[in-house]
Order: sequence, then structure tokens, then C-alpha cells
Amino acid sequence: MHPEIARIQTMLGGEGYIADREIATAIYLSMSLRKPLLIEGAAGVGKTEVAKVMARALGTDLIRLQCYEGLDATTALYEWNYQKQLLHIRLTESSDRSVEQREQEIFSESFLLRRPLLEAITRDSPPVLLVDEVDRADSEFEAFLLEVLSDFQVTIPEIGTIRARTTPYVVLTSNRTRELGDALRRRCLYLWIDYPSFEKELQIVLNKVPGINADLAAQVAAFLQMVRQAKLEKTPGIAETIDWGAALMALHRDHLDRETIEETLGVLFKSQEDARVVRTQWLDLWVRGLERLRAEARPWSQALVERVAAEGALRR
Amino acid sequence: MTVARAGSLAANVVAFTRLLRRRGLPAGPREASDALRALAAVDLLDRREVYLALRAVLVERREHFQEFDEAFRAFWGAPEDEETRPEVPPSDGAAPEGPAEAERVLREWLQAEGEEQAEGEESRETPGYSPAEVLTHKDFSTLSAEELDELTALIVHLARRVATRMSRRMRAVRRAHLLDVRRTVRRSLRRGGEIMELLRRRRRIQKTQVVLLCDVSGSMDLYSRFLVQFIYALQHAVSRVETFVFSTSLTRVTPALSDAELSRALDRVARTVPNWSGGTKIGYSLRQFLDQYGRRLLGERTVVIIISDGWDTGDVEVLEAAMRQLNRQSARVIWLNPLLGGAGYEPLCQGMRAALPHVDVFAPAHNLESLRRLERHLALPR
Repeated sequence: MHPEIARIQTMLGGEGYIADREIATAIYLSMSLRKPLLIEGAAGVGKTEVAKVMARALGTDLIRLQCYEGLDATTALYEWNYQKQLLHIRLTESSDRSVEQREQEIFSESFLLRRPLLEAITRDSPPVLLVDEVDRADSEFEAFLLEVLSDFQVTIPEIGTIRARTTPYVVLTSNRTRELGDALRRRCLYLWIDYPSFEKELQIVLNKVPGINADLAAQVAAFLQMVRQAKLEKTPGIAETIDWGAALMALHRDHLDRETIEETLGVLFKSQEDARVVRTQWLDLWVRGLERLRAEARPWSQALVERVAAEGALRR
Repeated sequence: MTVARAGSLAANVVAFTRLLRRRGLPAGPREASDALRALAAVDLLDRREVYLALRAVLVERREHFQEFDEAFRAFWGAPEDEETRPEVPPSDGAAPEGPAEAERVLREWLQAEGEEQAEGEESRETPGYSPAEVLTHKDFSTLSAEELDELTALIVHLARRVATRMSRRMRAVRRAHLLDVRRTVRRSLRRGGEIMELLRRRRRIQKTQVVLLCDVSGSMDLYSRFLVQFIYALQHAVSRVETFVFSTSLTRVTPALSDAELSRALDRVARTVPNWSGGTKIGYSLRQFLDQYGRRLLGERTVVIIISDGWDTGDVEVLEAAMRQLNRQSARVIWLNPLLGGAGYEPLCQGMRAALPHVDVFAPAHNLESLRRLERHLALPR
């Protein structure tokens, strides 16, 4: 392994983010090739976390642009400070400056509000720019974003072109609610983050749920492996796993039984329909799966959990 | 690294990107040069690292991972030193027909000669049509060879019309006016900073996503040849259409159908669809759609069109659950059923009965007239 990739992996680990080699390699390449990193994957697998942790590990700022439908250039790039402009117009009303002069004044940089994209390219040291859930923005915005990401310069009609002082580290995330354009994809490095393996999730639980014992953590991780085999409307992600672990700790449970699981079902399954289906169709199977696992020697492995799940016909 | 080695590496990388391009991945010169830069930055002796680096640079969507893996294996060898990944078993129990068979079926379509059509039990159960004079009212299953050519041209024309109507209607849907502060302030300057009028801007036009799910199982054989032409024409006329065909499992055919030439497009479809004219598992296929594409394609501006006769040999419960979810996650679900055109047809088969409560529009699709009426159902909102 390249020492730098190993360093990134350790660095992320130090920040409490368990990164496998795929993630570490992609981050490393994105930093050394200076190309934006496009991260896709199901909701709740820790895509946004990558950027946050990257910023912390690099010791730089994180600038976040949350995308939504209807997001446009004014919200993403810059806006004029209208209140300040109006005030200035009032204050200079009785001065003998011409309209043109006053117009020039209020459209100068001191009246400019920097939105995330402009902010990101005008910093002295390169920040991490997170363009979160880019799939939720319209395709027009995507085209605009592409332009900014290719040239790293922004043209403001009243002022002129602002060139990037430094090139930010760019991370884009997408939940695939809309297919992104090819042009944007080709501009980026690509990383797909899957639901974690048993081993990885166990690490995460141990890391993120303070005070949890190894045995309960393993049961939680194994249970989630089984859960993700079911077809549900909203498959629980890592955040749900961590919440669940914390909930179990708060209830002082040291192992998983049917009653405990039923009590805390709402932490994992956020839709009424899912909760109903789980109760009526799945829970028995999963509890049996856990029982069978408990008879096995520790530590458990992904292969073992998968085998047990397959034996119990947990897949439908 | 010696110069000679770097040179051969570059040649190899270029050859590899060519291989990827042949397999349909968009790897051009820029990607090749990025790949070289990436390889210069990683540990070349570490096979897994080389694999991960090349994948990050040369692949841009998850759907291409498998193609990439195969190409990588063929060109560079196994991506990992020690372990080999298990092959993914076909997700469906039914043995897929060979591509040759599917191609034959499609060729028949193209020549539009339905005479030696294998008569499945189900197609024999197709209710009879009511004889009519005009072509547009004739049931697709009863046309002669010369009528077919004419029909194809008509279908293309019709799809274009439906498509234009569709986009025009969709435009009128949302017209919110937002205050344009920037222009308002600028205008006020002319009046010494007094805001005399508010300038507004129009909200961006929202486009509708259309998802077509077309049954190509044996019982639909007589109809699907026309419907696919209709779909082909529709996809070329409307910008946001995603097309899938299914029998026992689902296949996305949008890229195949995007070929500019109909015959080539149908050829490509034949090559991508593994189980043409097989049995039907509608529920299973819809479930597959929901899992793989639902998040991406469904939403409050999505119209889902299912074209099927509702003969389901799979689990009815699965079908019902899938339909419920489909209905909830989209703006409108339209079910086109070619059998519906027959006199006295009632949706008695189990599959259709289970699906019906979750369908917004249930309409016939057995002749041109019925397809023309389709445009009425496509405008949003519900």
C-alpha cells in the first residue's frame, strides 16, 4: 500500500471514521490529482462524513453547499447585500455624486455576499468544498456547477472575473434520486460506498457507541447484516445502527432478545409500513438467526453471518 | 521507475481504456491521462491498489463496475492477489434463453410477420376483437403484412404527437412568481433608491419524468412488437423517458433504444434482454425496478406507465406490495392493457385484480386509437 494512502486511512481512523481501502484510495487520488470526488451510495452509508472528516484531517475548513430543488446561482455563488445597498443609497442621497458613481459604489466587493461556491475559491488556503446531495438540484444547476468546477473562476457582471486563489478539495455526494449528467461524472473521480460489511460495521459500533461491550456490538452488527437482506422501503444506514447501539446502552441491555428488539424497533425502522412488515414477517427469522449465531465461536465473520442468514432463508 | 517501463505502462493504459470503450464505458484520452497520473501516484506493486485507483478514475457510475471488473481481469489479471470474488449467480430461477433466440424473436418482429407465431395458451385466451373498418381501430393481433408497414409509420407519428402534447401541458403546471430582489434594487436606483415596482422572475419549468415498463413475455408477444416501436418513438420525442422491459426479470433498455436507427435499436434491445417471450413475473420485475431504480426515477413528477396484460405467474402478494409502493412514490401510475380493448374483457386474472387498486388510469392499448388517447392521461398534476 502506498504510505500516503495508509496515512489517510489512519488519519480517518483517528477521526473516528472507519475507512476501507476503497475510500482511502479515492480520497488520496482526489487530493493528489486535484479532481473532485463524486461519492454515490444508499442513504446513510456515511458519504457526507467523508468530506467532514477530510477537512478535519487536513486541518482546513469545510464549506458546505446543501443542494435542493430550485437551488440557483444566487444562493450558491453570490448575492448582493441589498439592505446595505439600500442604506448606502439613502446615505449618499444628498451627496453630489452622480447616479453612475453611486451605482458603481454599491456594486463593489464590499457589498457582495459570498455564498459557498465563491467562498470556497477565494480562501487563502484551500478548504474542502462539500456539494451535498447534488442529485437534488436541477440539471441547470448541475451545468452551472460544472462550469465553476472546470475553470475555478466566477464572473460577476458588475465586478468582473474572480479567479480562484486556491483550488478547493471538492467532494460531491449523490443519493441517486436523479441521474447526474455524464459531463459532471467525467469531471470527477468516482467512489461508490456500499453498506458496510459485518467487520466494518462492528468497528464503527465499537468506535461510535461509547462503553458498548464487544459482544453486544457484534450482535448489533450481525443483526443489521440480516436486516439489510430484507426488502424494505428504507433500509437502515450506519447512523441508525449507531443510534440503536446508543439506545440499547441507555436501556442498559447487554444482549439482544426479541423483547429488547421490539422495544427499540422505532430507532431502526422509520416508516410505519416497514415497522409493520418487520414485526409480521421478519422479526422471528432474525431472532432465530441471532440465536444460531450465538452458538458459533467468536469472533464472527462476514462469511459466517452470511451463511447463517442464508440457512434461515432470511432472503425472500 | 525507469523510462522504458513508464512508456510501456502508458501504452498499456491506453490499450486498456480502448478496451473499456469497446465495452461501452466512456473512457477517452482525458481519462487515460488521468489514469496514468493516478498510477504514478500509487503503489504499482500493490495489485488491489492499482485496481482501486483505475476504477476511481475510469468508472463514473456503479452500473459499470461489473464491466470494468471483467475488463480488468481480462487485461491485467485478477484484481486481488489472494482472494477471488464469487461470481454473481443469476438472480432468477428461470434459465435465460440464449441471445440467439432473443435475436430471432426480434428479427421476426422487424419483419413484422406474425404468421408463424407460436401460440401460447395465454394468447389463445385473448378475447376476440370487434371487427372495424379503419386501421386505427383494428386490433394489433389481426393485421396483415402490408398493413404493418403503414402502421409502423403511424405509430411513430403518433408518439411524436403524444410527446409534444405532453411537454406542452407539463409546462403550464407550475407558474410561481418569485421576487427578483437584484433587479428590483437596481431599478430603484434610477428613482433615487425608492422602490417603485417589484420585479419578478418566473420559476424554472419543471419537467416530467416518464418511466415505461413494458411486458415482453409470451402472452404479450402479439402486442409488444408494436408497443416497443411506440416506446422507441416516444423515447426519441420526449427528453426524460426511461424504458424497461420485463418478463421474468427486468432489463433497462433506455440506452439500447436510444440508437438513432430503429432496426439497430431493436437489435441492441434483443441483445440486452435475456428472457424474451418467457413467462411473466410482474411483481418480481416491479420489485426489481423499485430496488434498483426507484430512488432515482420516482418522485412527485414521475409518470409510470406499465404495459402488460396482467398475466402474472409469480407471487400475487409481491405484485400488490410493489404496486402499492409504486403508486405512493410516483405522481401517477398508468396501466395499459391490450386485452382491455376486447369486448367483454374483465380484469379477472389474479395479477390484474391485485394491481388495479393501485392504478390511477387503466386504459386499453390494443390499437392506435387507444394509444392516441394516452396523451390525455399524461398531464400532471393528478
